[in-house]
Amino acid sequence: MKKKILIEGMHCASCASNIERSLKKVPGIKDVSVSLLTRKAIVEAEDKVTDEDMKKAVSRTGYKAVSIEKD
Amino acid sequence: MNHEDHHGMKMDNEELSIEEIEIKSWKKKLVWAWIFAIPIAFLMFSERLFSIELFNEMTMTAIILVLAFPVIFLTGWSTIRGGLRGFISFYFGMDSLIALGTIVAYITGFLTLFDIVQDYSGVAAMIMAIFITGKYIESKARGRASKEIRKLLELGAKKATILRNDKEIEVDIIEVKVGDIIIVKPGGKIPVDGIVFKGQSSVDESMVTGESMPSEKNMKDTVIGATINQDGILYVKATKVGKDTFLAHIIKLVEEAQGTKVPIQKLADKITSVFVPIILVLTVLVFINWFAFTQDLSRSLGVAISVLVIACPCALGLATPIALMVGSGIGAKNGILIRKGEAIQTMKEVKIVVFDKTGTITKGKPEVTDIYSINVKESYLLEIAGSLEKLSEHPLSRAIVAKADLKKYRSVSNFKILRGRGLQGKIGNKQIIIGNRTLMKENKIDVRKYEFTIVNYESEGKTTMIVSENRKIIGIIAVADALKEDSLEAISKLKQSGYKTVMITGDNETTAKAIAKQVRIDLVIANVLPEDKAKKVEELQREGMVAFIGDGINDAPALKQSNVGIAMGTGTDIAIEAGDIVLAKGSLIGVVQAINLSKKTFRKIKQNLFWAFAYNVVAIPLAVSGLLHPIIAEIAMALSSITVVTNANLLRRSRID
Repeated sequence: MKKKILIEGMHCASCASNIERSLKKVPGIKDVSVSLLTRKAIVEAEDKVTDEDMKKAVSRTGYKAVSIEKD
Repeated sequence: MNHEDHHGMKMDNEELSIEEIEIKSWKKKLVWAWIFAIPIAFLMFSERLFSIELFNEMTMTAIILVLAFPVIFLTGWSTIRGGLRGFISFYFGMDSLIALGTIVAYITGFLTLFDIVQDYSGVAAMIMAIFITGKYIESKARGRASKEIRKLLELGAKKATILRNDKEIEVDIIEVKVGDIIIVKPGGKIPVDGIVFKGQSSVDESMVTGESMPSEKNMKDTVIGATINQDGILYVKATKVGKDTFLAHIIKLVEEAQGTKVPIQKLADKITSVFVPIILVLTVLVFINWFAFTQDLSRSLGVAISVLVIACPCALGLATPIALMVGSGIGAKNGILIRKGEAIQTMKEVKIVVFDKTGTITKGKPEVTDIYSINVKESYLLEIAGSLEKLSEHPLSRAIVAKADLKKYRSVSNFKILRGRGLQGKIGNKQIIIGNRTLMKENKIDVRKYEFTIVNYESEGKTTMIVSENRKIIGIIAVADALKEDSLEAISKLKQSGYKTVMITGDNETTAKAIAKQVRIDLVIANVLPEDKAKKVEELQREGMVAFIGDGINDAPALKQSNVGIAMGTGTDIAIEAGDIVLAKGSLIGVVQAINLSKKTFRKIKQNLFWAFAYNVVAIPLAVSGLLHPIIAEIAMALSSITVVTNANLLRRSRID
């Protein structure tokens, strides 16, 4: 399952790498790529991972997941 | 389903405005920050530079504390809040450094009142104001960097005029369904992908394919959404709408590419992820050491603040993605879609460029190349041949019919297809036989007189068809898969740049060699079965890295096997999944452009990474050794990330063809 998360408030490279690290810690998430420029995280995850899990992982770092879309 | 499509498009538009909102909000913060920071600067410098004491020290500190408060805690609030949250969640970012630096500096203002330490509260306000200014300039420059990509998003039509129950009605683009008949007036935008149902016109497709010549559209031709109809009215039957359109695919490709990584950035990414905690630890150590050695609290604090604000992970983290973004934007404008950032880096190592023949170097569609008429007018020859060939579906026949382009066909009787040899039939009372040598021999028609001409055509890789009327030869028509207009130019440019050029084809040696000679390609590998192309690429890879250029549909394995796969798309048939780079237009010069663009983009990435590393390597030790005032440190930091973005934007000035 591939999902696209639109993230608000991210404006520096450390932010992007923080979000990437936080998402990677979620069990079931296999691959994450956060783009500072498009403000999007592309997440490759097992089906058991819920949108809530991902939202939490993003907000843990201090940013907000505005929307999660299936890719 | 349709609703979801709509949502997808809307999302992209909203995201656009997020970018603009960001620029606007930085601008507002910037104005307010300086409204308070300028008086602070004046107060600070009037004392230092001109030794004018407007107020006593106590009053002065109090005024600065009051003026600095809104700069740091109102205009800088999002930075302070984000930064402090880092200390709770242990996810530190750039903001954490600025927040800590400014808050500590601001607090010194209060401590000054008790004569403990020198007042840095004015400095704190200056740091925040400069930080905000830097962010504003950076966000503007980033907006420029994404200009091409944003244009792509804005390209789609918003409305469409469709024909419903014989009435023209204007509807929102999302309401257009597959099968709808859309009316496109001259100068209007074709709203979705479709086929021409009625009418003819020329269409400007440059915005989508990068092809500058307008393309002629007649009945049954495919048209691409977002292209501009120029002079005639077109009735278009919608075939693809919403997320399925060519434009939507391009946008998705370009967007996804932004998320891919270029291998060279790995080190920078690793450093960025641990950068801020390391700087925090370093700052504490620097402060302790300075204080231990100098016993000067003010000086030690100043140095610590400098270290906090000079460290810039942003330049490091932005270096690669910003250059990739500008590069892929320029590409998209020219119909070159970079799918994977990795391809940009690999391209530099490529030594051999391998082309598929049919559909890549050639048009992939036989065309009449030569007409040799004997004792009859050329138009008569074409009329006879066209009338007969019209009745066959063979590709060679279609080439002749297309060339003849007859308004009226002669009626043919006793028509017969002679498989593998040709055709025969009667027009009026004349017996017509068209075909190859074998067919002529069977009918005891003497071709010896024209043998030289025929052999000559064949040596050029052409297929000849002999036309006879009442057992007398009246002409020879040569048909070949014609070269694309720019194949020769593209291949010679590649050779000039030092690439070894190779052509792989399933054709026989003669035909292959003939084509190879025309485009002056270095090496020909003929008689290759489609499934063996990947194997041939693998063999070539023993000599060096290979870029393979093919149509993406039949050549997928070879594209995958090669180090850089470049898939050629034509019209709406774009092979999205195959290839690291996809060319929207079918011309071969796009390959040269793609290679040049990759190299130039990669060079920018290297420059940017170099500057970002060099900046931190030089600036941090300078700050640690106490040589930089915190304000200078902050200016340097702001400049470093602006430099990286501006340098990436310079890529736009370089030529790629």
